[in-house]
Amino acid sequence: MEKKIGFYVCSGCGIGEALDVNALLDLANSEFQVPLCRSHECLCQTEGVDLIKSDIEKEGVNTVVIAACSPRVMYDVFDFGLDKVVERINLREQVVWSHPAGDEDTQMLAEDQVRMGLTKVKEIEPPDPFQAEEMSKDILVVGGGLAGMTAAREAARAGYGVVLVEKEPELGGYLRTVYKLPPENPPYETPEENPLEKLVKEIREDNRIKIYTSGRVTSIAGGPCLFDVKISQNGTEIAERVGAIVLATGVIPYDASKLENLGYGKYADVVTMVQVEEMFKAGDVKRPSNGAPVSSVAFILCAGSRDPEHLPYCSSSCCVEALKQASYFKEINPDVTVYIFYKDIRAVGNYELFYKKLQKDGLFFVRGNVTSVDDDGSGGLIISAEDFLTQAPITSESVDLVVLATGMVPTTAFGEPYRQPQAGQEGEVEIPADAILVSNILNLQYRQGPEIPALKYGFPDSHFICFPYESRRTGIYPAGSVRAPMDYARAVDDAVGAALKAIQCVELTSKGMAVHPRAGDMSYPQFFMQRCTQCKRCTEECPFGAINEDEKANPLPNPTRCRRCGVCMGACPERIISFKNYSVGMIGNMIKAINVPDEYEEKPRILVLACENDAYPALDMAGLRRLQYNAWVRIIPLRCLGSMNIVWIADALSKGIDGIILLGCRHGDDYQCHFIKGSELANIRMSKIKETLDRLALESDRVRVEEVSIADYYKLPQILDGFAERLAELGPNPYKGF
Amino acid sequence: MEPKYVSREMRDYIIEMGAETITWCMQCGLCTALCPWRLVPGETSEKFNIRRMLRLGQMGMEGFEDETVLFACSTCGMCVKNCPRGVKIIDNVRAMRASIVGGGGVPANLRPILGSAHANGNPWAGPREKRTVWQEGLDVPRFSPDTEYFLFVCCHSCYDPRSTKIAKSIVKLLKASGISFGVIGEEESCCGESMRKLGDEELFQKLAQSNIELFNKKGVKKIITTSPHCYWVFTEEYPTLGGEWEVIHYTQLLVKLLEEGKLKFSKEISKRKIAYHDPCYLGRHSDIYDEPRNLLASIPGVELIELDRCRDLSLCCAGGGGRIWAEVPMGERFGELRIVDAAEKNAQMLTTACPYCMNMLTDACKSLNKQESLEITELSEVLAEALE
Repeated sequence: MEKKIGFYVCSGCGIGEALDVNALLDLANSEFQVPLCRSHECLCQTEGVDLIKSDIEKEGVNTVVIAACSPRVMYDVFDFGLDKVVERINLREQVVWSHPAGDEDTQMLAEDQVRMGLTKVKEIEPPDPFQAEEMSKDILVVGGGLAGMTAAREAARAGYGVVLVEKEPELGGYLRTVYKLPPENPPYETPEENPLEKLVKEIREDNRIKIYTSGRVTSIAGGPCLFDVKISQNGTEIAERVGAIVLATGVIPYDASKLENLGYGKYADVVTMVQVEEMFKAGDVKRPSNGAPVSSVAFILCAGSRDPEHLPYCSSSCCVEALKQASYFKEINPDVTVYIFYKDIRAVGNYELFYKKLQKDGLFFVRGNVTSVDDDGSGGLIISAEDFLTQAPITSESVDLVVLATGMVPTTAFGEPYRQPQAGQEGEVEIPADAILVSNILNLQYRQGPEIPALKYGFPDSHFICFPYESRRTGIYPAGSVRAPMDYARAVDDAVGAALKAIQCVELTSKGMAVHPRAGDMSYPQFFMQRCTQCKRCTEECPFGAINEDEKANPLPNPTRCRRCGVCMGACPERIISFKNYSVGMIGNMIKAINVPDEYEEKPRILVLACENDAYPALDMAGLRRLQYNAWVRIIPLRCLGSMNIVWIADALSKGIDGIILLGCRHGDDYQCHFIKGSELANIRMSKIKETLDRLALESDRVRVEEVSIADYYKLPQILDGFAERLAELGPNPYKGF
Repeated sequence: MEPKYVSREMRDYIIEMGAETITWCMQCGLCTALCPWRLVPGETSEKFNIRRMLRLGQMGMEGFEDETVLFACSTCGMCVKNCPRGVKIIDNVRAMRASIVGGGGVPANLRPILGSAHANGNPWAGPREKRTVWQEGLDVPRFSPDTEYFLFVCCHSCYDPRSTKIAKSIVKLLKASGISFGVIGEEESCCGESMRKLGDEELFQKLAQSNIELFNKKGVKKIITTSPHCYWVFTEEYPTLGGEWEVIHYTQLLVKLLEEGKLKFSKEISKRKIAYHDPCYLGRHSDIYDEPRNLLASIPGVELIELDRCRDLSLCCAGGGGRIWAEVPMGERFGELRIVDAAEKNAQMLTTACPYCMNMLTDACKSLNKQESLEITELSEVLAEALE
């Protein structure tokens, strides 16, 4: 594209008072030969926007560079269509609001930011959205239980075709075992009827839903809108193309045979909650040992849960399930004696009222660890426990039935760990592999493994607080108890959410746009394959498994799986991966455009590579609060710290920039990186930076990595000024002036 | 440690005795945290934990029958007022006491008290015929079917020499207002409020029935009580036993008379800085907070001092729930904390509207040796002094 640049400086919001605006216009005109350079006192209002629009129409401007407020605001006002390149230079939040007005150093900072912006647009091309033949907007739902059926129903109601695969001959999953559900309606005191039949009827009657019972997904290849799914049903194989996937395969109860210490397997009258549901569903409630009626029952909660020997986590629903089953017993015999042995009663929200109701019904609630379940000598069972509330060991009366509330194990937690193909070249950076278990559910034809990576305990979740419903595989959304332990009501909510995510995915992908968190982004990475050395770094480091390999280890990108984070771009040692509006060369040139005064002027320069998702907004926030920090910094936003290519460090240091600070998200178990592994990868790469510094004979202190969340904005002055102080101790970069 | 045995039979027995809400308790412990026993040191404070006592009750487990535990609660109602589950903790305490007392397990120090109430109709070991001695020289009207109000004087103020001043002051105030009132006299019995709290359900029923029969026979329609305890039991418990009258605490009536202009406090009194102590049974139990304050404020020259713990956060004097008969070592009495509260505010007088409170606070003031700087009174005495 032949670029015709228009450069606009806004003098509103204090910019005009703090900076010499004319000097900025002169700079653009003289250093960058920008033909159209204008200023306006309020660019974001109608008159200012009309000024730009008029230049586009009358002067043929197709590249608009706006030096005004942060690109995080007014993005809708400064939208001039897909064919126009728009670049925003942040003079307000990160220059005039964070630095003294009328100051020489503030002006120099503004000028460098202008230089970087004008350098960047030279190389930006308008994105060309990815398109492919036969993109599908249908949604595959794997698992026909409560969550799966709900997701299928909701997606179909929204007008999308659904393919529902259930491994059993009947739809329903665990609901087929269940007698009733916990209360969902005021006054929240009586269990609800099982919605199974109604739900199955709705699903069966909806002609947008194709149902494969006794079905198995044997293979899924491709990516969003291009998923090619093979389903085996009664020995025949069916092929379907779908756009997105909801994984709703649920859980399996923890194996009670491991709980012999609680009498399971030892006494016939020690049963699980599943068995109790079955008894009531069948209308045949009796003691398994002798068929006598049950006049007293004890529930043991957290049986094998919140226990490092068994499941270390809480399964979230068992407390209310036990309350519900206690109410079953009370319903058929109000005089029944019921004990509930618990660690904590977790009956949140309206379930509190149900708990209260059962307290009023006179249940015995015992908080404490059960120490033994013993035969009383006449066929009854006695439970001994440490009662936390009286700080004494206690012994129950003899009961007829003991019910163990066992926890949930996700269906994704079974199978052997997947072994990655041979790793890259010797001596390369060690990248921690994702935990993927070969659970034979999705059978993804992905280079990184056949199932979704697990966050913890085999649950294929993402960071739910920051990124609800996401998994680490684009277009695949776990829902219901397979994602995290949850009860029926939450599973329904979860399924609705996942259906919505799947719909967003097919809508965006079919238009060539990225999904969360860069929703709407139309750029995608392009590989200059002639120079590829088959090092596999991109395939291994992509947090979303977007890149497959051919037999010669050439990368095979799947653009619809891509989240556009640029981690591959940061990983590539040959620098052959670029976006139309984001590349190694482009950022490198921006760094080179920084004006570095020589050491005698005592004006050090600090390059700040800031993650766009948290660190950059935090810098804006610091400006908004008028927090002040040194004007030596030059800030470049990165899509993710994981897209940082080591060559930029070398570029900056060899140019004489005194120090580089990387601001990224928290990584580790409690990560907040929007691209899961980006900030972690940046850290791993930085651990290798010492070699580069040694080669240049520079101190490793010149490069620093800091974790900054958006809430940490107030720490930024301390972080940036502290770094400047350290650089002052080290003295100027000896490469200045070379 | 030997295991404790859970007993549904025992639990159900306690519920039958009146602990209907005992299973509602979720053992959060707010009751224990708010309990005035946490504010003092000593053996009772260490042993008595209301949350744990309820726990033993709801499990039907032994351990609560220890006298120090079972009879520690002064029924101040701080826990009941704040319980997130709405557990009627005092009823549960009463039922647990009843489950022991009903079987003959009366502690030695309470035997003469309950015995006197049985024999004399009052717990103060006073002969029935001496119930009206305090009236000598006062010309107190006798209640007749034409009388509007029946004045029911608390046994404490009939027999305790210091407390009779309350009865006398109230008579003086009522006479000054000119309203129609009268007493019945020797046939009256103790209202039984504290007897029931001690767990003697049988005694309470006997006293209550005797009063109900007497009052109804005499044609009582409206009752003025001198004590908040009598007021509470007449309004909260007698109606279910057949005693239904219009019951009013004397402070409520005096405010009404003041508003109607039938009463006027025009004389300045000797002390000016007066702090008011909310009695548990008038405040938290009966929601009467403003009337005593309005009466005090109407006396010329009085500066009403609010204590930090006031109204529904008022600190108990420790006289309720039968604790008025308990022997408590110095340093462990709630009343002493109350004296400190008043002294910190530089009050010259601490007044209240309950004979038990007056009794407990007077003792506490003596034990702290503060009588010189702080005078303890009952509100009626102050008001009577302010009459022209």
